[in-house]
Amino acid sequence: MFAATELNQRDKNTQTLFRMGFMLVTALLILPVLLILATLVYKGGSIISAEFLFGDPTNGMREGGIFPALYGTVWLVAVALLVSVPLGVAAAVYLSEYAGDNWFTRVINLAIINLAGVPSIVHALFGVGAFVLFFGIGTSILAASLTLAIMTLPVVIVATRESLQAVPREFREACWNMGATRWQTIRRVVLPNAVSGILTGVILEVSRTTGETAPIMFTGAAFFLPFLPESVFDQTMALSLHLYVITTQVPGVPEALPFGVALVLIGMVLLMNSFSIALRMWLRGRKKW
Amino acid sequence: MKPAQFFLNALVFSVAVSSMAVEARTLIQNKGSDTLVNVAQAWAEEYRKVNPDVAVAVTGGGSGTGIAALINGTVDIANASRRVKQKEMDLARSRGQDPVKHVVAYDALSVFLHPDNPLDSISLEELAEIYGEGGEFTIWPDVGVEVPGCKDQTMILVSRQNNSGTYAYFRKITLGKRRDFRLGTRDMHGSKDVVDLVASTSCAIGYSGLAYATDHVKMACISKTKGGACANPSVATASDGSYPIARPLMMYTDGEPAGEIKNYMEWILSDAGQCIILSKGYAPVRDVKCD
Repeated sequence: MFAATELNQRDKNTQTLFRMGFMLVTALLILPVLLILATLVYKGGSIISAEFLFGDPTNGMREGGIFPALYGTVWLVAVALLVSVPLGVAAAVYLSEYAGDNWFTRVINLAIINLAGVPSIVHALFGVGAFVLFFGIGTSILAASLTLAIMTLPVVIVATRESLQAVPREFREACWNMGATRWQTIRRVVLPNAVSGILTGVILEVSRTTGETAPIMFTGAAFFLPFLPESVFDQTMALSLHLYVITTQVPGVPEALPFGVALVLIGMVLLMNSFSIALRMWLRGRKKW
Repeated sequence: MKPAQFFLNALVFSVAVSSMAVEARTLIQNKGSDTLVNVAQAWAEEYRKVNPDVAVAVTGGGSGTGIAALINGTVDIANASRRVKQKEMDLARSRGQDPVKHVVAYDALSVFLHPDNPLDSISLEELAEIYGEGGEFTIWPDVGVEVPGCKDQTMILVSRQNNSGTYAYFRKITLGKRRDFRLGTRDMHGSKDVVDLVASTSCAIGYSGLAYATDHVKMACISKTKGGACANPSVATASDGSYPIARPLMMYTDGEPAGEIKNYMEWILSDAGQCIILSKGYAPVRDVKCD
């Protein structure tokens, strides 16, 4: 009915130009990820085997497997999550559901933002000073995981708070009008509806915790340990530190080994994340709005 | 499973796992020098076979890290490639710690030459001119010899990759902390490679741990200054300090070691432990017989 005027056409061209531009930028963002993965698979893929994953390192860590490091990383991440998720969620619930807008909450919010900006090596020093020395826990999984937990606490708090605030206010009001208390509302309505958002925070935390080297280096991870940790008071090897060690400290390491370790490290993060993502999708499918 | 339930279960699980670890196992904490860390790791790996009830946790980080940890009381044995400074000693004493030194090895570097090379001795000053950036010596006649079979008499400098402790120490002792190696050195990934290359190249000069010496290379007698008295590299000259490119590697314990730490230190100084030192390219503290 209407033929496109020159003006219409120009708008359309600009539209296409910008869409292509943004798409290109997005594609560029994926490029490094793909390149990293491709390099790791190309250079380290050949070393991955059951023996590599479940064997002990031998010959001065130049041969054999990486199981103690793999196992240790699982411990570190699990204990860190056990500490930071309950604490972070509780803090977020308070901030989102109970706290009014006063100087106290503002100070807390400021503290959270600052905590997120502290470099990991500073967290490491704090961990040594507070957990290892002051509380006398000693270099152990517990001290390392507490350090990691404190480092990742802001991630959990912010993600949880945002997902709590995404639950429509009408849900709460409807619940209150039925005579439910504040806690009953949070417990039965707000938290169940916010779980998928909380899981996002957990995913981010897992990724960061798995890869961190500095906070665990002085607080609980060892260069070499001839046994598997049996309790949270043991030291442990960890994948991230193992990777650092074999690339910088041990001479004569075959080239495939560090790439293999890096591949396992990334694979582990992807595996744990895909589990959380699947869980999140399932929960989101049950969402009522 | 509800999240709260999940966390509760996980907590119960971790407590259960923790409480299972009641069996007695002695853990020795060992931390410090990056020079010693690979040997320390090899000892820990091997000691597991000697005494499965004792586990040695090894961490690097540098001599300073180890000594600081000993002062804080978080390690049983600190590895150090330098002595504890007086300041550190005072601090340790004020905290009730008493660092006791155990020399566990010597880090002695030999300068290797092709057997046909007529050069017998060399000074640290000459080595600096040969290896240093902007150094004056590039051909063998510069140090007063003519090497048979070496075409155009150009020195071929064999060195190590720059993350090697041997590289760092050789650089420090010959060039000082600030001066760099000259460009164009052949940087080998391992002491054995250095010796092999020198053995097959008449123009070559290289450095490596004494332990890597073979019959196919010649070791230069080292003096501090040109014309000064020189010392041949050997376990004896490395041990008594007369050899100029040797330093003791130490382990510090808090007080005289006792119990399992004492057993471990004794094993390190036994033939089995000292042979590991030798296999890692360092000089043992005494003569040992190894396979």
